[in-house]
Amino acid sequence: MMKSRPLLLAAAGLVVLALFPVLIENPYYIHLVETISIYAILLFGLDIVVGYTGQVSLGHAGLFGIGAYSAGVVIMHFPDTPFVLVPIIAIAVTALFGAVLALPALRVTGPYLAMVTLAFGTIIQILINEMDFLTNGPMGITLSKPIVLGHEMSDREFFWVVAFLLVAALLVVNRILRSHLGRAFEALRGSPVASDCMGVSVYRYKVYAFVVSAGLAGLAGSLYSYSEQYISPNTYDFELTVLFLLAIIMGGRKTRSGALLGATIIVMLPKLLDDIVLFRYVAVIFAALVLIGAAIFVAKGRSTLQRVAVPVVGTVALAGVSFVLTNITDWRLAIFGLITLLVVYYLQDGIVGFVRSTLGLHGHGRTDAEAAALLPSPVDAVSTSVAATATPAMQDLVAADKVLMQFGGLKALNDVDLHVSRGTIHGLIGPNGSGKSTMMNVLTGIYVPTGGAIAFKGHSIVGKTSARIALAGIARTFQNVQLFGEMTALQNVLVGLHHTYRSNLLDVALHLPRYRREERAAMARAYALLEFVGLESLAGEEARNLPYGQQRLLEIARALALSPELLLLDEPAAGLTAPDIKELVVIIRKIREHGITLILIEHHMDVVMSVCDIVTVLDFGQKIAEGTPAAVQANPQVIKAYLGGELTAPTLPAAAAPQGGARIGSGSDPSSPGSLG
Amino acid sequence: MQILTQLVFSGIALGMIYAVIAFGYQLTFATSDTLNFGQGEALMLGALVGLTLVGMGVNYWLMIPIVCVFGAIQGAVVERIGVRPALKIKSEFGWIMSTIALGIIFRNVAENVWGRDMRPFPSPLPEAPLHFLGANVRPMEILVAVGAILMMAAVELFNRRTIWGKAVVATFNDREAARLMGINTSLVITFSYALSSISAALAGVLIAPLTLAGPNMAAQLGLKAFAVAIIGGLTSGMGIIVGGIILGVAEKLTGFYISTGYSDVPGLVLLLIVLAVRPAGLFGKATIKKV
Repeated sequence: MMKSRPLLLAAAGLVVLALFPVLIENPYYIHLVETISIYAILLFGLDIVVGYTGQVSLGHAGLFGIGAYSAGVVIMHFPDTPFVLVPIIAIAVTALFGAVLALPALRVTGPYLAMVTLAFGTIIQILINEMDFLTNGPMGITLSKPIVLGHEMSDREFFWVVAFLLVAALLVVNRILRSHLGRAFEALRGSPVASDCMGVSVYRYKVYAFVVSAGLAGLAGSLYSYSEQYISPNTYDFELTVLFLLAIIMGGRKTRSGALLGATIIVMLPKLLDDIVLFRYVAVIFAALVLIGAAIFVAKGRSTLQRVAVPVVGTVALAGVSFVLTNITDWRLAIFGLITLLVVYYLQDGIVGFVRSTLGLHGHGRTDAEAAALLPSPVDAVSTSVAATATPAMQDLVAADKVLMQFGGLKALNDVDLHVSRGTIHGLIGPNGSGKSTMMNVLTGIYVPTGGAIAFKGHSIVGKTSARIALAGIARTFQNVQLFGEMTALQNVLVGLHHTYRSNLLDVALHLPRYRREERAAMARAYALLEFVGLESLAGEEARNLPYGQQRLLEIARALALSPELLLLDEPAAGLTAPDIKELVVIIRKIREHGITLILIEHHMDVVMSVCDIVTVLDFGQKIAEGTPAAVQANPQVIKAYLGGELTAPTLPAAAAPQGGARIGSGSDPSSPGSLG
Repeated sequence: MQILTQLVFSGIALGMIYAVIAFGYQLTFATSDTLNFGQGEALMLGALVGLTLVGMGVNYWLMIPIVCVFGAIQGAVVERIGVRPALKIKSEFGWIMSTIALGIIFRNVAENVWGRDMRPFPSPLPEAPLHFLGANVRPMEILVAVGAILMMAAVELFNRRTIWGKAVVATFNDREAARLMGINTSLVITFSYALSSISAALAGVLIAPLTLAGPNMAAQLGLKAFAVAIIGGLTSGMGIIVGGIILGVAEKLTGFYISTGYSDVPGLVLLLIVLAVRPAGLFGKATIKKV
């Protein structure tokens, strides 16, 4: 029932799309739906960048232009090129430009990236205008509908071509975004640092996202030039780019239906604004809808009067103004601007997102989780590659010597040696700001140490990227939780399992056996990992909605998905309740039983003392003690570092308390600002 | 040689305008990590309001403070409508889109109020050029450069010497801490937007006599000024003046020696290169990311 309804809807949609040009003979309407389809193809791609990876791109009108002109230029200069080749060339050229555009995107985000992409779009427009010899400059290019086997396609036939490509693009994009590739894109948005530390290279997947997105823009552009039969540089301007973004946010990001809806809106809206009488009707209906919606929301207590005041007043004012104005066309852009403002603040999840949340519908995240629960569980989800390693048991898994990490004049780590033996739980303690987390960041490649040597399994890891270090077998959790908030618990773990996939784009797009096999195996293992930390009942829940303690457990499950040989836990017990801590200690012991070596940073001394085999104490970036928990506890220097005085008490009071959960060190709040520790 | 000197001088005048707009970016970026993507439109509105005032018979010099008041109001409106709600929900996408949207609205309104045509702006100084180093320099070009530097100096002095300025600097350093110290940070942010738009509006009435005034006079200005802000670094005062001059001169040279059609290109390419190679700018300090 649940599965058949969308299928039925899709089949109905296909039939309507196929019969449309037969039933409606007016070429104007055929062209209108064709334009919507073309825009939708571009928006699928834009949504990958904007919705999934969370980057603002103001360059997609430029990419669209490149696609259109690739087709136009090829046809102008080589009129005999077969039609089939033209979109392929356009896709290839535009994808190449997408890769170029991604280069600065690797270094910058947010407003910087917005400006960079805007600059890119502007340069493209200038180049199209100025390079007359190639593009015919401001005169534009006139072309015919595609000619296949000596026959020029009719409007209707070309409509079917576009419709077919729309459906194909929809299917492929949908498959990509629901695969490990899509999860990688989404992970970038959730937490770039965590992505890198899960072996999902932020660099690589940003480039992928831009390339795929640009390829779709290229396809859309080439179809557009055939559809319009005339292209000129000024089409691909700033306004078009803003219009595309408006379509994505208004329709609803991260949904294909949102892109389709958004495309329809931005194509229909200008037509609507051409007709003042029609616009008045629509404005009044729109205002009434918003008014009713707001009234329901306020009555149900889901919103307050102040919150709904602006959209209500805004839409009513718009309706009022529409009766004053005689010529609405001149105000077209201002109206677009107003709509954008309203959408950005009052319809953040778009129309599709709004409808979904009002109706209580869920995305595929939850159904996937239910499906995963039914899969047969793997033999052992936790330990995999560990047993296969041939290194002698006695050799240090980690050998860090004289590690120096300097930030300006501050030595966060000052000639620290850290040797971790295979199969042990190695505690790393010290007051806040002593350099513990810096050590974690150095070990995982987030910081490149200023000096010293670090070897993992006998190979140096200094200067290697976080993603490579992660794939080499070091996994970690974060002091301030770094989950992919909008993804479900299961999907978070699946990102950790990214390294188990060998499937490429083609496998994913066609759902070839290799991809299906890998996806099934990963699903089963991810679910088993959730069971390992006791979160299987929450598999379908978005990570941001989990309670804090369970977020920390989820981070552990995600880290285990990497099949690490070394697991770094950065204050896993911070903010946990006493029963949760007990559970955590059990999990830590279980992880060790699977042959995984652990480094544990923790302020809860009872946890450290009960599970660690050996403890290293840092203070002001220097190692002040190392030894068994008992020896360290008795060390006068350690006591001095923690309590600050010349105390000679034999043991730390809190450490002596068996299960108190008491913490040593002042202000050991994990989120305390300014602490490097 | 004479032509070259000539181009360099007009390049400097243009570059100073870029510097002023970039300065506006710095002001708001300092207090709230946001910037107005419609900064070019703020300049355009300043110029057109100035033109209307001059047309009504107001003296050029008297018109400037009125335009400043207008700029302040415009900037405050942008902050209230476009930026504050986004800061509240911590949405970067939100303020980028809403300042773009406001820019589009402003431009469209200007088109409907003043018409789409570019109009000449009467120059307050004599048009006869001065001769300097063998080149002709228009007095207005000197005024642009002097006015731009004076304005930036005034704001710097304000920041360093007054308690209000210290509040701005404190908000820049740590918004949360400044708020806890009793500084009304949201007012400071509004204020920085007002100041930012004032500088843009002022730049508008300074540059308009040299170019023309019209709704589309600022089409690429905001973007190129961002290039200047990036080249100079978003935190360096000296950097934007150097960056502005580099860009202004590069543009004039490209326009003359290659083609006016390409004159926008060097700035944009420079922006792409600087961001790809050294995102903190030539003069800015690189920051360490913390995890």
